[in-house]
Amino acid sequence: MPLRIAIVEDEPAIRANYTDAFRTQGYEVAAFAGRAEALAAFRVRLPDLAVLDIGLGDDPDGGFALCRELRASSQTLPIIFLTARDSDFDTVAGLRMGADDYVTKSVSLPHLLARVSALFRRAEVARVPPQSEDVLVRESLSIDLKRFTVAWRGRSVELTLTEFWMVHALAKFPGHVKNREQLMGEAHVVVDDSTITSHIKRIRRKFAAVDPGFDRIDTVYGMGYRWKADG
Amino acid sequence: MRAALPALGLRSKLVLIALVLLVMPWAGYAYVRAMEQLLRENQEQQLAATARTVAVALQDRPRLLTPPAGTATEGGPTATTVHDEAKTLLAGLARPGLRIWVIDSKLKLVAAAGSLDAPAPQGAPPVFGPIERAVHFALRPLFERMFRTPAAPGEEVIPDDVIFGGRELERALDGAPTTRRRPAPGGRGTILSASHPVWSGEAVIGAVVLEEDTDAIVSLRNRAFEQLVAVTLVAFSAAALVLLAFASRLSWRLRRLRDEAENAIDSGGRVRALLAGGHARDEIGDLSRSFSTALARLADHNAYLEALAARLAHELRTPIAVVRSSLDNLRLQGGTPGGATYLGRADDGLQRLEKILTRMSEASRLEQLVREGEREPFDARAVIESCAAGYSSAYAPRRFKLTLPDAAVPLNGSADLFAQMLDKLVANAVDFATGNDPVELTLEREPGAAVLRVSNHGLLLPAGMKERLFDSLVSVRRHAPGDEPHLGLGLYIVRLIAEFHGGRTNAMDRADGSGVAFEVRLPLV
Repeated sequence: MPLRIAIVEDEPAIRANYTDAFRTQGYEVAAFAGRAEALAAFRVRLPDLAVLDIGLGDDPDGGFALCRELRASSQTLPIIFLTARDSDFDTVAGLRMGADDYVTKSVSLPHLLARVSALFRRAEVARVPPQSEDVLVRESLSIDLKRFTVAWRGRSVELTLTEFWMVHALAKFPGHVKNREQLMGEAHVVVDDSTITSHIKRIRRKFAAVDPGFDRIDTVYGMGYRWKADG
Repeated sequence: MRAALPALGLRSKLVLIALVLLVMPWAGYAYVRAMEQLLRENQEQQLAATARTVAVALQDRPRLLTPPAGTATEGGPTATTVHDEAKTLLAGLARPGLRIWVIDSKLKLVAAAGSLDAPAPQGAPPVFGPIERAVHFALRPLFERMFRTPAAPGEEVIPDDVIFGGRELERALDGAPTTRRRPAPGGRGTILSASHPVWSGEAVIGAVVLEEDTDAIVSLRNRAFEQLVAVTLVAFSAAALVLLAFASRLSWRLRRLRDEAENAIDSGGRVRALLAGGHARDEIGDLSRSFSTALARLADHNAYLEALAARLAHELRTPIAVVRSSLDNLRLQGGTPGGATYLGRADDGLQRLEKILTRMSEASRLEQLVREGEREPFDARAVIESCAAGYSSAYAPRRFKLTLPDAAVPLNGSADLFAQMLDKLVANAVDFATGNDPVELTLEREPGAAVLRVSNHGLLLPAGMKERLFDSLVSVRRHAPGDEPHLGLGLYIVRLIAEFHGGRTNAMDRADGSGVAFEVRLPLV
């Protein structure tokens, strides 16, 4: 049985294009133009993954409301915000609503598909016990490449897909400086420099939440960022 | 930049205008002269009339002037009695300041009465107060030179030549009444004399001469002048003071308005409202209000420009997503064999569009970041050192020359933003650098401030753009085909970050004219 993706997007051309792209990849797609319509359908049957626009027609925060309702119905359902809004405020708000990822509409379809499949894998393998070969271990850091999860000193750090890919890119080669373009490539995003800066800031904050003394992500001004190996 | 005061300010002009008031004493002078003339004529007529009265009185007593033939010792009125009688007659008429004498046809003095002693001033002279007194003392030398003041009462002398050689006497004895002025003894003041013949039948038997000094008139005139000058002086000073105060206030208000108008638009293009005279109901208040209106419009326009980039970016993102997803779908489906070329070109175009969008939203994202304003202390020197290492590889073969102070330069703000600001400055300098000279990065410590300077060899700044370079959407680049898009947001970002750190930006040509320098002045912790 194919996985079912729900797309809620008010712009018909984008909706149709995404629908086609996902169908080509073998997913089943349910597309909706508005919040009420989508909610009615979700009550009948929950999708396996939801791609939500934030502004839906005359409802500027319709996507946020939908996300809240979906999260109330299912704790594990992957939700991606796909929006023209790219302010930090919206990003933070979206992620706080319980979305797994937040991408702007400038994302390319292959990048979006990569995210969708990654999120599906994460949801899927969450039910299977971890296998050691899929885990990248850098001293206190362990990255589960299958589940897209990260643990620091044995404690799990909740990261979005974008953040996960960035941490992975940095930790793969400790001590090597990754510039912003490289990080964007690894995280399948095209954003501006200050967005990368905010992502790094958020990652540091999340690590600091489990370990207040965390200082492994080093800013190399003028170049990029690097993962500091254990002293 | 406070402009110098104009050479001839409002104040000086108004005081100059007040000088017109000085015409007042001239008018008064003419008036007093006319009055004096009138008084003199009046005095003359009075004197002549008195002379006639005396003469007529003597006509009735011809024996006083023609003593009986024979010796004085004979019977009848003696010479002494005649003399006494004449004297009594004259004494009734004489008064201080008026002298009367009678002469017979043989030029013999029959009787004289009165003296030319100046009469004591009648009543207290009207005194204006301390000002008039001061004027009186200040002007006395001047008056003494201009008009001869009356002499101090001197010794009573009737000069012989007056009695015996005076023309008026001769004429009176010839039968014609005469008036004459002659200088007072000692050459000070004037004495007015009137003579009248005394008739006896057809013959002139004597003459009456009346003399009066003109002191009273002269001192009256002088006092009038003094009062005039005092009044004028007081009026002039009062008017000048009032005008000066008025002009001072006016020019103070105007200067304040000017200063505020000058500073209303800071070097960053931000507009502040005017306060000066905002509520005044005169022309200056009106001027201030219309300034404010114009400035408010300018501020609106600036805000519109600053928001334009963000709004455009937002609005363009949806149609671009349509194009991108369509192209991606085309590619995913394999497409036609020749289609790949066109897909590639469309992708290139799209990428450029997206870069523009990214840059546009970068500025607005930064504005937001700056508003949130998380600050922490960092060492600017370390950040620059680290950045410079990156630039050398990123912009190879362009070389960089780094000049740093020996000690750390502590700033309060965000190291990330500071690095981003440096990135923009360096990118800008590298783009404009020509030749093989290195781009110079300098950090200097000044008292209380750190000065970051990025300078490159190359074209100078276009005239008139120095102030605007740091504004949103202002670019002076000449565009080359296939070039990266330039929106004029880089230096705007520099300004935003500099302001976030409490600093100011400045663009200038290098002192030697070989290129340009961009300077950021930031307060130290």
